[in-house]
Amino acid sequence: MADLSVNLNGFKLKTPIMTASGTFGYADEFEDFTDMSKIGAIVTKAISIEPKKGNAGDRIFEYKNYGMINRIGLENIGIKEFVSKKLPLLKQKNIDFVMNLAGNTVEDYVNCAKIAEENDIKAIEVNVSCPNVKSGCLEFGTDPVSLENLTSKIRKVYKNFLIVKLTPNTSNIEALAKSAENGGADCISAINTLRGLGVKLDITPFGIKKTFVRGGLSGKCIKPVALYMVQNIKQVVKIPVIGIGGISSLEDVLEFLAIGADAVQIGTENFTNPDITEKITTELDEFIIKNNFESLDKLKEELRK
Amino acid sequence: MKRNHKSKVINNIKIAKGTYKLSIQSDIEKVKAGQFLSILCNNKTLRRPFSISGYENGIIEILYKLKGEGTEFITNLKPDDDIEFLAPLGNGFDVKNVQNALLIGAGIGIAPVLFLKKVLSEKNIKNYLITGFKSEQEKIEGSDKTIIGGSVLDNIDELINEIKPDMIYSCGPSIVLKKISDTGIKHKIKTQIAMEKVMACSIGVCRGCTIELKDGTNKTVCKDGPVFMGDEILWRI
Repeated sequence: MADLSVNLNGFKLKTPIMTASGTFGYADEFEDFTDMSKIGAIVTKAISIEPKKGNAGDRIFEYKNYGMINRIGLENIGIKEFVSKKLPLLKQKNIDFVMNLAGNTVEDYVNCAKIAEENDIKAIEVNVSCPNVKSGCLEFGTDPVSLENLTSKIRKVYKNFLIVKLTPNTSNIEALAKSAENGGADCISAINTLRGLGVKLDITPFGIKKTFVRGGLSGKCIKPVALYMVQNIKQVVKIPVIGIGGISSLEDVLEFLAIGADAVQIGTENFTNPDITEKITTELDEFIIKNNFESLDKLKEELRK
Repeated sequence: MKRNHKSKVINNIKIAKGTYKLSIQSDIEKVKAGQFLSILCNNKTLRRPFSISGYENGIIEILYKLKGEGTEFITNLKPDDDIEFLAPLGNGFDVKNVQNALLIGAGIGIAPVLFLKKVLSEKNIKNYLITGFKSEQEKIEGSDKTIIGGSVLDNIDELINEIKPDMIYSCGPSIVLKKISDTGIKHKIKTQIAMEKVMACSIGVCRGCTIELKDGTNKTVCKDGPVFMGDEILWRI
C-alpha cells in the first residue's frame, strides 16, 4: 500500500478521504456496510449543546441523479448524550473522527467546544452555515467580523485541531476564509450545502398537488461550485483546506487535490453507496502505485505542477 | 455480516396493472416479514426502498408499482442482470405471543403482509388477510378477502368482531394506516403499522425519514421502523 497519510497542520490522517458531517451518523451505523479502518476520519453529525428535534414535514427532496435537497434541521442527540454514549464507542473502536458542532449563539459554540476540550476530542469542525446570532439575524457564516469573533472565542477554550466549515451561500468566501484563519482556525473545510428549492408537481384528475422543499442542495451537481470556492480559498489562506462538494469518484478526488485541497470529504454519495469512501481510497492507492507516484504527497506535487 | 449486496436478478415480471414482482438471488440467511431492502438505481441519487414480500433459500422477492424514474429503472432489469441493494433493513413485524392475527394490506401495501401471512401460517398461527385494490386489473393474489374499488376499512368493525384478532398488522397509504390505528384503539387491539417515507440513507444516519411518536421522540422509519405500534404514532394527517 502506498503512503496515503496527510498531515493537516498537526492533525494526522491515514488517508485524505474523510466522510462529511450529516452523512455518516456517528459512525457505528456504518459498520455493516463498510470497512471503517479505510476512512481518513469520519466527521460526526452536527452536535449542539441541547438535543434538537429538527424540522417537521418532508425533509428530503431528490434531484434526479444530480443531487438532493435536505432540510433535516440539525436533528441530533445533543452533546451530553454524544459524550456519554457515542464517544466511548468511537474510542473503543479506534475510529478516527472529527466532532462537528453547531449552535445558535456564541455561547452555544463555546460551551460545546469546552466540553470537546474536556473530553480530549482531537478535532472539531465548526458548522457556521445557517445559525443566527443573538444580537440580530446576521449569520456567523456570512459575516466576516462575526466569524472571526466566533472562531477566536472557540480557539480560546479549545486547544486541539479546529476546523471551520464554510458556507457557499455568500458573495465573499475569501474574506470569510481569512476571518477563520485570523480567528485562529487550524484548517478550513468547504463547502457546506447550497440553498435550493425542490418543486414537485403531481398532476392528477383532481388538480395539481404541489410539494416544495427548501433546504440545502448537495450531491454531484454542486461540485463545480465547490471546486471554484476551494480554489479561491486556497489563494488567500495559509492553513490547510479540506474540499467538500459532490465527490463520488476517484476522478473527483483528484480534481480537488489538483486545485490545492489538502484532503477531501465525501457527503451525499454515502447515501447512494455506503462503501464509497472505502472504494475510492482503494482506487487512490492503486492509482498511486500504478503510476509510480509512491505517496500521496508525490501525487499532489504532480497534480499541481 | 455485511448488508450491501451485489447479485443477480432472477426474474422481473408484471403481475398486475402497473405492478411487478422482482426476485433477486442473495446470500442473506434470514429475513423478517416487515423488513425491507433498498435498491441502487443508476439514474437516481437515492436508493429505492421496498418491503420484502417473500423470502426462501436466499431468494428475495419484492412487489412494486411503476411510479417514477426509480421504478422505471427497476422495471428494465432482466434476468441475470446485476443488481445492488442493501438488505435486510429495518425492524420487521413482531409475531411473539400472537395467536390470531388480522392482516390488512391496502394497494401495494400488500407486500409485507403477504410475507407475514406465510410466516404466520408456517408457525401455525391463525391469520386472516384482507386487501384492497382500486380495480380488478390491479389485484394481487394471495389474500383471504379482496375488496375491489372500495376500502379495506369498509366493514372493518364487523370483521374484527367476527375474527376477534389479538393483533392487527397493516401496510398501505398513511391515511388508511391512521384509520386502522384508530380502529385498533377503539377495539382495544394492538396494531403494528409498517410506515413508508422518502428515505435518503435508509440505514438510520441522515434523519431524513423521521416520524414523531406520542412520547415526543423522533424515530427513523428506516432503522427504528418501518414497523411501529399504531397507538404510539403521533399522526400528522
